[in-house]
Amino acid sequence: MSAAPANMWRNAARNRLVLAGAGMLLFALGLAMFAPLLAPEDPRRALLATTYTIYAAPDGQHWLGTDDAGRDVLSNLIFGARVSLTVGFFASFISVAIGGSIGMAAGYLGGATDRALMRFTDVVLVIPDLPLAIVLVALTKPSLFNIILVIGLVGWTGTARLVRAQTLAVKERKFVHRARAVGASDLRLITRHIFPMVLPLLVVNTVLVTSLAILEESALSFLGLSDPTNVSWGQMLNYAFSRGATSSGAWWALLAPGAGIVWVVLGCTLLGYGLEQILNPRVKSHHLMRASIPRISAVQSASPAEAEAHALLEVRGLSVDFVAQQGTVHAVQGVSFSLRPGEIMGLVGESGCGKTTLILSLLRLLPAAGRITAGQVLYHGRNLLALPEAQLAAVRWKELAIVFQGAMNALNPLLPVGRQIAEAVERHEPSATAAAVAQRVGALLEQVGIPAARGRQFAHQYSGGMRQRAMIAMALACNPKVIIADEPTTALDVIIQAQILELLNALRKELGLAVIFVTHDLGVVAEICDTVLVMYGGVAAEYAPVNAVFNEPQHPYTHALLAAFPDFSRRHKALVSIPGQPPRLHALPPGCRFAPRCSSAQALCHAHQPHLLRVGADHYASCHLLQPMLPAGSPLPQPA
Amino acid sequence: MQSGRLLLRKAWSALLTIGFVLVLNFFLFRVLPGDPARAGIKDPRMTRAAQIAIHQRFGLDKPVLNCLASLNPLRRGPCLVNPLQTQLFIYINNLLHGELGISYHNKIPVGELVRARLWNTAVLVSAGQALAIVLGIAGGVLAAWQAHTRIDYAALITSLVAWSMPTFWLGLILLFWGSRYAGLPIGGQHTPGLAAAGTVDQLRDAVRHLVLPTLTQTIIYLAEYLLIMRSTMLDVLAEDYILTAKAKGLSTFQVLKDHALRNAALPIITIVALNLGFTVAGAVQIEAVFSWPGLGQAIYESVARRDYPVLQGAFLLLAISVIVANLLADLLYTWLDPRVQAPA
Repeated sequence: MSAAPANMWRNAARNRLVLAGAGMLLFALGLAMFAPLLAPEDPRRALLATTYTIYAAPDGQHWLGTDDAGRDVLSNLIFGARVSLTVGFFASFISVAIGGSIGMAAGYLGGATDRALMRFTDVVLVIPDLPLAIVLVALTKPSLFNIILVIGLVGWTGTARLVRAQTLAVKERKFVHRARAVGASDLRLITRHIFPMVLPLLVVNTVLVTSLAILEESALSFLGLSDPTNVSWGQMLNYAFSRGATSSGAWWALLAPGAGIVWVVLGCTLLGYGLEQILNPRVKSHHLMRASIPRISAVQSASPAEAEAHALLEVRGLSVDFVAQQGTVHAVQGVSFSLRPGEIMGLVGESGCGKTTLILSLLRLLPAAGRITAGQVLYHGRNLLALPEAQLAAVRWKELAIVFQGAMNALNPLLPVGRQIAEAVERHEPSATAAAVAQRVGALLEQVGIPAARGRQFAHQYSGGMRQRAMIAMALACNPKVIIADEPTTALDVIIQAQILELLNALRKELGLAVIFVTHDLGVVAEICDTVLVMYGGVAAEYAPVNAVFNEPQHPYTHALLAAFPDFSRRHKALVSIPGQPPRLHALPPGCRFAPRCSSAQALCHAHQPHLLRVGADHYASCHLLQPMLPAGSPLPQPA
Repeated sequence: MQSGRLLLRKAWSALLTIGFVLVLNFFLFRVLPGDPARAGIKDPRMTRAAQIAIHQRFGLDKPVLNCLASLNPLRRGPCLVNPLQTQLFIYINNLLHGELGISYHNKIPVGELVRARLWNTAVLVSAGQALAIVLGIAGGVLAAWQAHTRIDYAALITSLVAWSMPTFWLGLILLFWGSRYAGLPIGGQHTPGLAAAGTVDQLRDAVRHLVLPTLTQTIIYLAEYLLIMRSTMLDVLAEDYILTAKAKGLSTFQVLKDHALRNAALPIITIVALNLGFTVAGAVQIEAVFSWPGLGQAIYESVARRDYPVLQGAFLLLAISVIVANLLADLLYTWLDPRVQAPA
């Protein structure tokens, strides 16, 4: 609904459904306008012919055969387009005008007017359209004019409801309030501010109403309620049906008029469907679409034996691309790190640096457009990227669990929270009894400070902090060895935040849990992390133990990040924000990704991408200005 | 507690709507042209006295509404003193006693006539709707899951084409095909003269008569349900909690069944319920094609006969069925969505 009108029309010209629908309708319109020129016979004059054959099969003379009175079906078909399109156009105009006015009046005026108008709409809505139209047309006179009027008068309720809802939404927008504040009149507000915002929706609705009007006209005609002076498709079908086309086997007399109706209605449907798509663009992918399969050659290049001896999880040269319309986006490039049991690694960097992409790719949970192009994710020496889907599913949550960002959306609103935790236990411990599972769920909730009884409640009954803690309880459900926490404390108040951090820290000590902690908060990093991976523009800028990062930051970006963070131990230091924006991943600079914002960038930095260098014992950074500690033999693979 | 109050309010609103429909319905058939005594029971040999007798019998000699007559400047008369003697009051009073009036045409109580016809329509509609709902939901889920693949596009295009077909025409085509090539009956409820046959034969005969109308109904509504289910499902499958479910190691089937289906079901329930109310009315097209003695046919016949009491009764019943279906949808929605029961 957010698409601006001007944008909508531009997109419409490019949408294939819109083009197909409009083309079909224009074709029908052409037939209707030039019917006398195109039709082989005048349907009215045909009856005067002296010799004719009824239900003659299609041949060279009558391409679509003849009907029950020997008339040329093709000619009737062409002339029939006139009635359909006329009724469709004028009836929908009446319906949309009435429905639009009532809807806008109800939505704009509100209060008693709204209630009265909507009650009236409801009353008319529950009286079914077609029977009402039958009665009204039959009891007046089935002239074209009456048919149009009746169809127009019975078909406005849907429009009224839709327009009311949209008007209500638009009325509360800022620009309307602003216009009212400067004293715009009601009329001006409606015509200049509200109507333009309702218009796109109204256009889509008009197309739908038109198709319904055409279907209704054909039904009325089929039931014998048609203007006898004009041939219409429904009327042709009525004659064919009631005058023995079925028993004569005259399929052409049944097929042709119906095809006409389907053509026009399908034209409207495609047009409307396409316009709808433009108005409410949907996400192109979802979480169950076939996941992209990593390139096997890259995945098998290193043997597991080379895995670092102590590492629980080792990521090597991981690269992820996104295939977008604008081109391929290198969201993550050549990132490596390793995680020992009980280790907490902070993953920091500005938004859009590829942090979430990186963690989702560890368990191959990327959206369908995401492709892992290189690298390995070794868990206990086993490459998760090369595992078949079924085996990977057994690893998910059991070994590596994720605390997702934004727990409100990460919890299913229709299932009790406890059920969602139980589900994970049941999946990975199928032998557990129901009682054991229930007890475990209760214990998990208690562990994060939620009374076990509240497991029966739903996510919307939890506070923000509780949801986040429930998410953590869920992540702990199967005693995983690694927890990946994606900004688990963002948007929580300080006390809750401290509780969650304490909990994670305690678990690390008790269970030897390893944690990847994604955050913006360098204070938190300093407090609980052992190592830090700083990401910038999809690459690792710096990777080192936490003390090294805070005390001897090597990469200019890390310097800048630290300078931008308030440090109360050095209270006279001014905060320095980093100029500019992180690079947009589909338009990366050719050289170092940080070069455009880097105060010490050289010509080399703008031309070539730096490699990750070993600059200290366990200290890595990718910057042209640094000297490698060891010229060769870095234990981490070079990024591609 | 909360949901109980909500439902009570919905029920009250539904009652109010029924009340308005009732009055609107009453006036609709008095505003329309064609005096029933002259049009419906038209007989040139009828004497004036007989006409008056008929008027009296159906209560048509009474004023429609107490002071309506006095509003007419040409026939300005006194208001009838007793408002209980107006047609509107008598109509409502009779309705409250469960009487829908007497058919002008065949002189049987409208309630009886309409009830029998409604039952026939319900038989016709229920099988088709049940099939359409099950297949439509399954197809929609499949198409959404396989989004932007050949399966999805095939389902989408087929549905759009099916949606664009007039119901009666699809019925005609199926009738043509079924009667000529599949040996199915061309219409009606049962083969005449089969009353003496065994129960099994009668049942088989009844089913054979139901095949084509049911198929018509199924195809038309299947398309609609599939399209709606597909688009809702696409939205649901892009939600974060689906990713959570997948990250938990659940199989695609489990994610679909336990997490996606119920969330996607919420919007479609409203539409199915609304449709259930309207399918009874929409059956008029199928009934016409397959000569099925349902409510739709009753309306169609009564229009030609100007049998207003039957029309009035049928319309009331149709409107009530739509309203009740909506109320049921609300009920179901409350039951399925915890957020309605206990708001945060």
